[in-house]
Amino acid sequence: MARPKVVKFLTVCGSGIVTSSMIANIISEFLEEEGYEPEPSECNPSEMANFIARVRPMFVANASPIDADELDGTPAIPAIGLITGLGVDEFKDKVREVLQAAGI
Amino acid sequence: MLLRKDLIRLNVAAETSEEALRAMAQVFVDTGVAKESYPDAIVLRESKYPTGLPVQDKDFDIATPHTFAEHVNEEAMGVCVLQHPVQFQQMGTPEITLHPQILLMLAIVDPQAQIKTLRKIMKLIQNPDALSAVRDAKTPDEVYDILSPLLA
Repeated sequence: MARPKVVKFLTVCGSGIVTSSMIANIISEFLEEEGYEPEPSECNPSEMANFIARVRPMFVANASPIDADELDGTPAIPAIGLITGLGVDEFKDKVREVLQAAGI
Repeated sequence: MLLRKDLIRLNVAAETSEEALRAMAQVFVDTGVAKESYPDAIVLRESKYPTGLPVQDKDFDIATPHTFAEHVNEEAMGVCVLQHPVQFQQMGTPEITLHPQILLMLAIVDPQAQIKTLRKIMKLIQNPDALSAVRDAKTPDEVYDILSPLLA
């Protein structure tokens, strides 16, 4: 069996700790279900530009407002719905779209 | 178990989110869970990155205030039920105004070590009936008994 494809992603929240970890955990579980190998990183908005340059994530999932200019072309998916439970399917669809567009 | 009975406060009077946050953050300081810098840090963080979250089909919302590990002595979770809801902004979408009556205040140092509990807190956020029961509880013991099986 082929090794699962690695999906790097970055979660962003106000403190870069609590909410981003919760979201990272949910997204990782979802990516595993889809047959990928998740590789999450977490940060706060002021660290985001650095993380994007260093990690080169396939997408950003944000639980705080972020500066679109700092995304450097990385797709950003609002992730509050994962916390509230409202909009989970919508979020997953967007992740699938991003991965499809990236051809993996 | 993050939830501590001595960090549960009911019937807390507050007119603004800052009053509510300071009242509860001071409990964390007084019990030694957080440092003297914690209340200011909580208020500042809330103003920059709000933590209000909507509760489905209920007449109140919740907030999950927390801040950086440097202000925390030990990891814990507290619950504050306000006399009446106060205005908070929504996490991630600060232009939306919510009316939390319950604060789930967190003192976290290592989120990776607490990830199972954090997932359970998320499930709780999506459980309007449990939150209603917490809002209507008469004693801290009652709140603890409602929440501990959900967070254990």
